[in-house]
Amino acid sequence: MSTPTTDPLMQVETTCGSLLHELQIIWDEVGESDVERDKMLLELERECLEVYRRKVDLANRSRAQLRQAIAECEAELATICSSMGERPVHIRQSDQNSSSLKAELRAILPELEEMKKRKSERRNQFIEVLEQIQKIQMEIYTASYKTVLDETDLTLRKLEELHVQLQALEKEKSDRIKKVLDHMSSLSSLCSVLGIDFNQTVHEINPGLAETEGTKSISNDAIGRLAAAIERLHEVKIERMQRLQNLASSLLELWDLMDTPVEEQQIFQSVTSNIAASEQEITEPNLLSIEFINYVEAEVSRLESLKSSKMKELVFKKRSELEDICRKTHLLPEANGSMEIAMEAIETGAVDPANLLEQFEIQIGKVKEEAYSRKEILEKVDKWISACEEECWLEEYNNDDNRYNAGRGAHLTLKRAEKARALVNKLPGMVEALAVKTINWENERGTDFTYDGIRLLSMLEEYKILRQVKEEERKRQRDQKKLQGQLIAEQEAMFGSKPSPMKQQSGKKGSRMSYGGPSNRRLSLGGAMHAPKTDLHSIRATPNTRHSKKNERQLNNRDDGFSGLSAGRRGLDIAGLPANRKHSISEVEPPQPQPVFRTPFSPISSTESSKSNITLLEDLNRKHEILQKTFQNTNTTPFATPSKTLTSATDEENRTPKTNMIPVVPCTPSTVSVPMQTAMTPAAALMGMNQIKEMMIPEEIIEYSFEERRAGFVLPKAHLKMVVAV
Amino acid sequence: MAAAPPFTGTELTNPPSDGISSLRFSNHSDNLLVSSWDKVVRLYDASENVLRGEFKHGGAVLDCCFHDDNSGFSASADNTVRRLVFNQEREDILGCHDAPVRCIEYSYATGQVITGSWDKTLKCWDPRGASSQDRNLVGTYTQPERVYSMSLVGNRVVVATAGRHVNVYDLRNMSQPEQRRESSLKYQTRCVQCYPNGTGYALSSVEGRVAMEFFDLSESGQSKKYAFKCHRKSEAGKDIVYPVNTIAFHPVYGTFATGGCDGFVNVWDGNNKKRLYQYSKYPTSIAALSFSRDGRLLAVASSYTYEEGDKQHEPDAIFVRSVNEVEVKPKPKVYPNPAT
Repeated sequence: MSTPTTDPLMQVETTCGSLLHELQIIWDEVGESDVERDKMLLELERECLEVYRRKVDLANRSRAQLRQAIAECEAELATICSSMGERPVHIRQSDQNSSSLKAELRAILPELEEMKKRKSERRNQFIEVLEQIQKIQMEIYTASYKTVLDETDLTLRKLEELHVQLQALEKEKSDRIKKVLDHMSSLSSLCSVLGIDFNQTVHEINPGLAETEGTKSISNDAIGRLAAAIERLHEVKIERMQRLQNLASSLLELWDLMDTPVEEQQIFQSVTSNIAASEQEITEPNLLSIEFINYVEAEVSRLESLKSSKMKELVFKKRSELEDICRKTHLLPEANGSMEIAMEAIETGAVDPANLLEQFEIQIGKVKEEAYSRKEILEKVDKWISACEEECWLEEYNNDDNRYNAGRGAHLTLKRAEKARALVNKLPGMVEALAVKTINWENERGTDFTYDGIRLLSMLEEYKILRQVKEEERKRQRDQKKLQGQLIAEQEAMFGSKPSPMKQQSGKKGSRMSYGGPSNRRLSLGGAMHAPKTDLHSIRATPNTRHSKKNERQLNNRDDGFSGLSAGRRGLDIAGLPANRKHSISEVEPPQPQPVFRTPFSPISSTESSKSNITLLEDLNRKHEILQKTFQNTNTTPFATPSKTLTSATDEENRTPKTNMIPVVPCTPSTVSVPMQTAMTPAAALMGMNQIKEMMIPEEIIEYSFEERRAGFVLPKAHLKMVVAV
Repeated sequence: MAAAPPFTGTELTNPPSDGISSLRFSNHSDNLLVSSWDKVVRLYDASENVLRGEFKHGGAVLDCCFHDDNSGFSASADNTVRRLVFNQEREDILGCHDAPVRCIEYSYATGQVITGSWDKTLKCWDPRGASSQDRNLVGTYTQPERVYSMSLVGNRVVVATAGRHVNVYDLRNMSQPEQRRESSLKYQTRCVQCYPNGTGYALSSVEGRVAMEFFDLSESGQSKKYAFKCHRKSEAGKDIVYPVNTIAFHPVYGTFATGGCDGFVNVWDGNNKKRLYQYSKYPTSIAALSFSRDGRLLAVASSYTYEEGDKQHEPDAIFVRSVNEVEVKPKPKVYPNPAT
């Protein structure tokens, strides 16, 4: 027993020694025997030893406990580390480092705490992943086996594994969702096509599927059932589709047969348009619903019943169609009688109407084909016929003495007449061309070209003969006129205008002199003023071809006496025209000999007036204009006697429509014209010329140059008067 | 131009799209001014066959004339008289008539523009005061009828109107016509054209005739006048007579060309009363003729003149032909006439 710390122990030693000393003193006094004394001392020593032993044991036990605690801690730490797959952080240091047990324990405890914390964290991660896995498994496989967390393996690798598993599951889940959605969409389209309530169908298949987004059931079972349902609906669809297509084809057949109007067909457009569609192509909602199919079916059956009831009507219709085409093309519907018989046969039920219908179809086809070949000629025939109508109208019009009356719409009839004349001129050529065409056609086909059952060629021939007859009639009258005109023409030829100015002048004078009298007389007598007209005609012919043509035709038709002239005129015109036209016309109306050509003719002024929209009334007054002119001339030409001037006027200003004048005047109610007429006699002219002149001028015929006519320039009345005032 | 086609001459490219109313050669160059019913006046370089300028108008242009090579004047159916400045493609309105303006002339003697209109007046304009229209107008002279044609030589203006009136004015005294005449021809006057020597004028009518007139009113002077027939066709004993639309005098020889609705251009020697030449037929009526300043070129407007109203007709064209001396030079005469 070592006592390094001296003090307490020394004290204890001293106390013990002092106590012993005291005890010896006591004993000495008491006189205790030595035996007793020894005994007492031994006992004391034994008791002391016992106390020591107890204390050592106690210390020993505490040390052992401490060691065990450290060991336990270390063991736990090791477990945790191994479970987490980590190298133990704590390496037993006691070997190298002989620190006390209590320090060792103090060092290990925080480490252990730290590890425990980490472990719990890791554990939580595991639990989380596992929970997710479990959830997904639950969704996919309905009954999921519970995966228990294995506490001994919380390594990162394991965690990684779990994560991979989770991802795989998630992918599968999304795949399934997609699949389900695909199925759903195809299901929905099927439902819509078939006219089935989609939501209800889905609910029937699996209530889970009907749920809102995200929680749809994606289990194997649900998907399987979905696929099955789709398959089933698909079959239904195909079946219905075939049914509908069958209906559609029968619909089409019936329509075709009965000529159902398009509007009616329109309703079933969707049906018929899908007649040849494949299953995938039919996507229109409700197209295959039971109601719709029933509806179509009803229509088909309606048409069927209609068809049977209308068969006769149909046959009639076809027949009328045939007849219509025949009428349009002026063909005679052939075998009309047989049709009647056929109709009767239907009525008695002896013939199958359908059969008959077919026959009609064939016939219509044939007729159409023929109509096509006839078309060109028919168009020409139409033109010809309308031209003939115009000709008739023109003839009537020309015989109407009142045609120049300035009634309402008179300008329109004038225009029409003008057109009609042009048309009539073309008629012979038209007929010729038509005949040639027809002959060609007949040669090509080997049959006659009939028009409403009559051979067209014979019609044309007839027309030509008729025309010839008319022509001859006219010619006869013309010849008569010619004789009359020739005399005057001869006169005119003698005094006709000469190229030399001197001669011309003298000639002018001479002519005035020579036939001033007769012409005046004629005028006063109301006869036609042939002489001046003749002159005019010979000279004016070309400058005013167009207008003169117009007039000439009017004249021609109104008074056959002038027709010769007109023909001549025409010939004249033709000379300036392209040869072909001339040819066609001259065929019909051979040009007349010169004298005829020079026969009286007037009309420039009338056309001019019509052209410039001066009323016909003025036209009628033109007679007076001659007079006016005369008077003017008398004023300007010093040597003119009244009678001379009159003639010179007619000579010079032969734009006056003398031909029109006389027949027309009676029907004009113009107040001015009446006094004028009286003034026309030489006697009247003799007196008060200046006054008359003043009166006349405002009504003077207005001549226009080509440019003025083209520009549509019309001299205003006011202007005229103004000028007169000046 | 020597190699011009033998028949009709060179046809100008870019011709007017409607009837040609007038054409004139410049006095200084081979520029050609053309007025047309298509409301445009065109300036061509005839020797180069180039369209040099176009001047749009408000209405059909019935006549045009040169001032100098830089400017010209036009008479339009929209009643206006215009001054055209070529290099600026500009146009000023000189003034207005009350009706379409039918003819226009520029007098180098007085520096005035003279216009004749269907409003029965003749008006003189001073083109220099282009600012206000009132100041442009020099005078208005009433005519007996609508003016149809007009020609100018020296100080004389010859005005032909409807109603066969012919007035001869002296530009120095426009208040009264120097002479009032009636046309020697019986029918409507188409054209008057003064002789280059200033002694008279030629007048054509719608009835294929041309009268040669003289200003000298003395008996001897008047005895020289005459008229002759032309532009006629005799076929199978029938005479077809065409209007004579235009007369153009040769600047050197004093002979003249006439153009008619028969599509022919004839060249005449007025002194010797001879036809010198007939050019081959043009597609349609000859609407206007003009010799160039030296008489080497003849511009021919082949353009339907509406004599038969509105109808189908050949396209309007301008031919420029080089003139052979033999075609226009008077032929020595066997019996020479007293000098005219």
